[in-house]
Amino acid sequence: MSALVQVRDLARDYSMGSGPVHALRGVSFDVEQGEWVAIVGPSGCGKSTLLNLLGAVDSPDAGSLTIAGERVDRLDDRAATTFRLRRIGFVFQRFYLMPALTAAENIELPMAEARIVRTERRARVQELLGYVGLAGRADHRPSQLSGGEQQRVAIARALANKPALLLADEPTGELDAATGLEMIDLFRRLNRDGTTIVVVTHDAQMAAAAARRIQMRDGAIIAEAVT
Amino acid sequence: MTRALVAAALGALWSLASPSVRPLHAQVIDSAPTHPSVVRTVALDARLASDAGLRLGDTVRISAAPNDTAAERVVISALLARRADPSEIARSEYRARLHLDQLQRLIGYGDRVDRFAIRSTGDSARGSLLRTINDAAFGFRAWPSAEIAVRTSRTFQVVRRFHRAIGVITIVASAAFLLCILLLKIDERRRDIAALRMMGISARTIVRSVVLEAGIIALLGSMSGVIFGIVMARLVNWHFQGVHRTTLAFTFVTGETVMLACGLSVVLGVVAGWVAARRLVTVPALTLLGR
Repeated sequence: MSALVQVRDLARDYSMGSGPVHALRGVSFDVEQGEWVAIVGPSGCGKSTLLNLLGAVDSPDAGSLTIAGERVDRLDDRAATTFRLRRIGFVFQRFYLMPALTAAENIELPMAEARIVRTERRARVQELLGYVGLAGRADHRPSQLSGGEQQRVAIARALANKPALLLADEPTGELDAATGLEMIDLFRRLNRDGTTIVVVTHDAQMAAAAARRIQMRDGAIIAEAVT
Repeated sequence: MTRALVAAALGALWSLASPSVRPLHAQVIDSAPTHPSVVRTVALDARLASDAGLRLGDTVRISAAPNDTAAERVVISALLARRADPSEIARSEYRARLHLDQLQRLIGYGDRVDRFAIRSTGDSARGSLLRTINDAAFGFRAWPSAEIAVRTSRTFQVVRRFHRAIGVITIVASAAFLLCILLLKIDERRRDIAALRMMGISARTIVRSVVLEAGIIALLGSMSGVIFGIVMARLVNWHFQGVHRTTLAFTFVTGETVMLACGLSVVLGVVAGWVAARRLVTVPALTLLGR
């Protein structure tokens, strides 16, 4: 059985004033179904670029990327958008919850876009809120929630359409240490329940909690470690 | 009981309307009612009565010049409220309505009039009367009252056009302001839109949502403006109606104004929302996030 994520010789260059910047230089790795991978490395090493390519937000200049059997590197903008909606869950460092919507409505948003019927959406929202420990916060707006609670809502939103892959970009970056640990526990539980996770992080504890760590430097993988 | 002298200049306005205005002078000599067969009656401008402290039933002496020995004693039998007519509210003179023979005697104008009005009982009578007068009386010209109203209101039509122009300029300027504000507000949400794009929300959904939101905000804003306009119109009317002692409405918000304000505002809101949203969704999400 093939891996959920297959990355082969992925390269991405950016044009800067001083010349091209090689953000990724032929990166290759696999992520198995149900695996939790942490991508670590110093700032500017290409880990966020890799995450954006995995999330079909950006296109590679060379190489191939296959997720759940689909060649993501060949998708046009519209197909990539649909792919993200149905196959990818994004968790951002700054949460990016819609301020005018309640926690429940924020979680419901991707499901509404995916045209899931209302009764099913509502049931899924309740299930997800309960899963992330915010059953009593359904009607709260982001401004009424703490940073940790907002990130929990963001995680629930990312899981709304039952994605094949959960991508997280510095999910503990805006949280204090204690809340960060709670978030790590949540990710651990998610992974234990079968969610495949790729997380980009500077947080040593988050990286240590992952089953596998990919160390990057200057756009290339320099080491891999399995816990 | 004799009362204080009233130094009031009276502009004559008799029941058939005279354009020739000559000052009359009135002196209050008694506030007690006098027998109607002895003393003639006069109808006075309600503003004059108010300013001079006169009441119905007061007896006054009325003459064409002050201290005229031929002054006539008259009883105030009616108070005339001035019509809510924009051509009249700024006129400061007072008016009195006298019996025709009395007025002729007082002003020495003789058996002559410059203008007079005739009330007809129907359209057919009016038409034949106009023809008869115009055919028979050389130098006279008879007009139906509707036409006189049109002729005398031309100034106000010009003023109305000025007001309309000012209103349109105000609305267009406000609309341009609204457009800029909406563009800026939507541009402020570029990170939210980037996040939505990354989550897989389609460009069409985002544009539709932004347009809907901008339209609703524009509609609510214009409705607030209309309510504010109505309140201000009432304040303006209250103030100037008090100043000019009239029931004339100086300003009001018409249905046409409301439709124009709301319609234009919604159209501009929708256009601004569409332009801003289209501009943002065509930019790559990563660029919107500043990466």
